[in-house]
Amino acid sequence: MTTKIKRQFKLSRLISKTIFYLLITTLAVTIILPAFFLVTLSFLSTREAYSYPLPLLPSLKAEYSLTYGERGYLLSVYDNFDQEYQTVLDTSELDKISVYMKSQISTPYSISKLEDRIAELENGPEDIVYFRARKNLWLNYDTFFKITRDAVPALLRSFQIAGLTILVSLSIGGMAGYAFARYIFPGRDALKFSVLFVRMFPGIAIALPMVIILANMGFYDKPVGLVLVYSVGSIALTIWITASIFMGIPESLEEAAQVFGATKFQTFLRITFPLALPGLAAAAMYAFLGAWNETVSAIILTQFNPTFPVVVYQALLGAVGNVNLAAAGGLVMAVPSLIFTFFIRRYIQQMWGGVTI
Amino acid sequence: MTASAPAKRFRDLGSKAVPYLLIAPVVIYYILFWIRPVLITLIESFRTAAGAFTFQNYVMVFTDPDFMPALRNTAIIVIFSVTLEFLGALFLALIINRKFFGSSIFLFIAMIPMALPAVAVGAMWLTGFTAHGWINSLLYHLGIIAEGAKIYWLAGSEWKLLILIIIIDAWQVIPSVMIILLAGLQNIPEETIEAGYVFGGDYITVLRKITVPLLGPTIQTAIILRLISAIQIWLIIVLLVGFSRMPVLVERIVYYHEEVPGLDISFQMASGYTIIVSVIVSLAALLYLRVSGAFGGKKEAA
Repeated sequence: MTTKIKRQFKLSRLISKTIFYLLITTLAVTIILPAFFLVTLSFLSTREAYSYPLPLLPSLKAEYSLTYGERGYLLSVYDNFDQEYQTVLDTSELDKISVYMKSQISTPYSISKLEDRIAELENGPEDIVYFRARKNLWLNYDTFFKITRDAVPALLRSFQIAGLTILVSLSIGGMAGYAFARYIFPGRDALKFSVLFVRMFPGIAIALPMVIILANMGFYDKPVGLVLVYSVGSIALTIWITASIFMGIPESLEEAAQVFGATKFQTFLRITFPLALPGLAAAAMYAFLGAWNETVSAIILTQFNPTFPVVVYQALLGAVGNVNLAAAGGLVMAVPSLIFTFFIRRYIQQMWGGVTI
Repeated sequence: MTASAPAKRFRDLGSKAVPYLLIAPVVIYYILFWIRPVLITLIESFRTAAGAFTFQNYVMVFTDPDFMPALRNTAIIVIFSVTLEFLGALFLALIINRKFFGSSIFLFIAMIPMALPAVAVGAMWLTGFTAHGWINSLLYHLGIIAEGAKIYWLAGSEWKLLILIIIIDAWQVIPSVMIILLAGLQNIPEETIEAGYVFGGDYITVLRKITVPLLGPTIQTAIILRLISAIQIWLIIVLLVGFSRMPVLVERIVYYHEEVPGLDISFQMASGYTIIVSVIVSLAALLYLRVSGAFGGKKEAA
């Protein structure tokens, strides 16, 4: 190749590479964009959340001006979009001003500090004082848990349910997975087929009659009831995952252990189980995700003891009043899911068909 | 070994029983908490509130003024979103199918939409599609719309809503279907594709005659699994526009169970709709198990 052709070749490769990365970036941005705005929204003050257009990033502080008004003091706040101070309050009651600054602008400001500002106003050369207040970014999260009925117990309940679902599905499903991987027995294929079918069967078709069954058992509106329902699907998935894990552990290892005098049970405990542990962890996280994210059955099977997704669902249905709070609730919901997904991303790729890049 | 014959027989029987003992808990669990509830729904759907046998429940469901719209909306969403998602995902997978710097981060990002809980996804789009939401704000910041010209996304005809729902679903699903197809593409030996080019095929021919046919099983898996979950779509619709504005099948079940639980017919209606959804989903699932070879037992299913 002459150098000229080489250079042209290099150039066209550079261009195609640039286009490729441009596409990848666009795609990634499109995927992340809604999530990005949910995060932004959850950090906005109520005043910001109801302004239009919404800011792209939450502000970190607010700039105020204080002057004399008709009824007392006139509080104005600087609007970053209109680039001017806008009067928001005219009152002589300092506690009203303090409450407004906290609830609407997310900048908690004590009355004693306000008194200091008023002293400055009265002693100062001009009829106006300017001051800044730092924004409490986590205020929406705080408020969501304070004002939403049951948010904290619901969160604990959701963790409890997810934990118990892991326990039930790993013990029951793990045993079956081992049997499917190590033994050939009559009825094996039919059973495997049924398990797959259960996995695909709509959850809502089980949730509805379970109202009666759980009520008879005394488990309606109790976490245990939901564990029983969630385990139906997650046992199937656990069987699926653990069977392939145990199949991947060579039987010769187990045989070797038995040659050295270990019993079958010892072999399982000392050899097979440790080797299967990473895969079992993945199966556990899958069970967690299933139970944590589930909403439909939880809506149907709870009444006074909702799970966290149900609380967020209800907050969203009535969200006209406080979108930024609903956004905070949605994010609290999303964070554990994303963390667990990150940990088992390799397994998800394998489950979805063995991507290795 | 000098074990006596009966003891040996007993031991053999014992080891033969091991797999069944391991499987017994699952079988018992599924009889109690899967077969029993499904049978109860099935029986209830054929009973009056007083307990007599009847077809009346199904007559009621089929003559429910919301039944045809619910069926139609579900069908439209399933057909259009599955097609759109599949073609979009295939297109992207074909372009991306190579190792590149940052690919593992990209794959994780592509997993995010599916990993997010339904209510979080609902929160995103609900806050986006309101008139003063982030979508209009973003369009304004990008200079696409003027300050006064807000777009009222959620107002207007059912068709507009259907399109929005299909777009949201596409956002959530295309990345993960893309990952499935990428996996399938990687399993195709490079020599096979190269051979196609050596024998004079152009890109389209190779794609049509070699890549897509070899990808067949993966495509079937992806499409049918998508079909099953698309049939069950409801939460995002209810979060965006509330109950009854755009009925779909599963939304009707929740509606009769949660929104109007006091009616005499509520439970019967919910059971009827449940059986209808279950039958449709089961047919799709059986289709999946059939094409994936689970019946023959030759191939490992999925």
